[in-house]
Amino acid sequence: MTPFFTLYRLFLRNQLTTGRLVLIGALTAIALIIGFAVGTSDPFDPVDAATGIVWFFGIGLMVPIISLVLASSALGDLQADETLVYLWHRKTPRWQLAAAAWLAPATIAVPATAIGLSLCAVLVAGFNAKVFFGTLLAVVVAAIVYSAAFTLLGLLFRRALIIGLMYLFIWEQFMARAGGGAATLSINTYPSSILAKITDIELFLADRSIATGVIVPIVISLLALFFTSWRLDRMDVA
Amino acid sequence: MSLPPAPAASAWPPSDATIVAYDVSKSFGSLVAVSSVSIAVQPGVSALLGPNGAGKSTLLRMLSGQIRPASGKVWVAGGDPRADAEARNRIGLVPQQDGVFEREKALDVVRLAAILSQLDNVEERARWALGLVELDPDMTRPVGAFSKGMRQRVKIAQALVHDPLVLMMDEPLNGLDPRQRKQMISLFHELGNRGKTVLVSSHVLEEVERLGSHVIVISKGRLAAQGDFRGIRGLMDNQPLRFRIVCDKARLVAAQLVAQSTVIGCNVESDTQIEITTADARTFRRSIAAICREHDARLEEIAPLDEDLESVFRYLVGAGG
Repeated sequence: MTPFFTLYRLFLRNQLTTGRLVLIGALTAIALIIGFAVGTSDPFDPVDAATGIVWFFGIGLMVPIISLVLASSALGDLQADETLVYLWHRKTPRWQLAAAAWLAPATIAVPATAIGLSLCAVLVAGFNAKVFFGTLLAVVVAAIVYSAAFTLLGLLFRRALIIGLMYLFIWEQFMARAGGGAATLSINTYPSSILAKITDIELFLADRSIATGVIVPIVISLLALFFTSWRLDRMDVA
Repeated sequence: MSLPPAPAASAWPPSDATIVAYDVSKSFGSLVAVSSVSIAVQPGVSALLGPNGAGKSTLLRMLSGQIRPASGKVWVAGGDPRADAEARNRIGLVPQQDGVFEREKALDVVRLAAILSQLDNVEERARWALGLVELDPDMTRPVGAFSKGMRQRVKIAQALVHDPLVLMMDEPLNGLDPRQRKQMISLFHELGNRGKTVLVSSHVLEEVERLGSHVIVISKGRLAAQGDFRGIRGLMDNQPLRFRIVCDKARLVAAQLVAQSTVIGCNVESDTQIEITTADARTFRRSIAAICREHDARLEEIAPLDEDLESVFRYLVGAGG
């Protein structure tokens, strides 16, 4: 077994706690209930309704919250219980440690959110290819980029969960909606733009192209990975 | 033995030193944890001794590369352990904290260490390392369910799995029962005899006495002494020391002791107990038995009152300035 896969497996096992599984299950259940409720209420424009739900509840809340809870704990928990030193002190390259810590939460967050929100979209709009694949791509991109950003956050701050929630609710949900400039600095803008462009539904401040919606999150993820590795290399470890 | 050592450029560090720290300091905010410490550790077992809060763990963390010194240089097993992954991999580290991966089995923890050290024969090495610390590799309980002593042994096993050149252990005997302590100390000696550099931190003087003759004494973040343990104890003997004597003719024995030139203070505390202060502990120890014999007094106990660790440090810090 390679060091990278061993680290990935360890992080993955650490992620799977009852509390986190309950949170994922609860948010998925809420998504399905909303989808069922709206779908059976015969909406005027099902595509518009499905896109709106995926945008507001899915990309705005469910994906970032699940990613935050999982990713901030990947390295954060090891720092808190002081077991990081057992991984850090070995000769495995820092980037492998950072990448494994990012991929483990993403491995759970991507399917957990993509399946739940795609089903939610189907419940509202039936199988509409644009909504289904738009949801799928937007959610996958969102889960990957949020996981990368919150893995770094978990390494940087002891109270990463609170800081992450403040970022989501104060910056993304409030400040970033003040205008285009602020929206550029919000992760939410990019997966929302993917969803808006693919479904042809106009979403507030989600006006980037699909290419920008995909490339910028990839760049953010790689930067987060780079800074996580850099921080691991520079930090003092208890 | 030096108090404190002043490294001379030509003679220091020794050519066979595997751990060298030169003028290292570290502060946390306004707290100076380690201040201008220079040490050199050669193969064999060495003890890093100091009371709680003296700066032992901070120094050990700088030596292992866990924390960066604010100033000074660290060199371990051919490189800077912070910058050089290969040098770091030549160190086996037993950190102070109790936590090991709670949900994993002992074999998995040690296997993980072996894989991350990129060993070929992972399973074999992991079982070998657990065998060294007398743990059953096939235990199915997770480490979280282990006693403190068993966890400590898992930590030692993961540090040994890659057969490191240098072993750094922060209070590794904590939580072990007397039999396990004895077994671990003999394992450390065996490793030392095989040419490994074994550096063990402890705040228990008795433990250090059994660990090895070379000690590095840290007090209040400074190097208080470095050298042979017996030398430090010898220095202690030349200082005024207090003893409690328990015998059945305390007043008679006290009168005889006061007449001795080496006794500079005497307090009869009861009919059976005296507390004396002597300027020459060795001579006093020899004379007390003779006095008791001469006056047919039954000597039950001579207990040094100043050989606890705090007294050693009080003296060393005073002597070292």
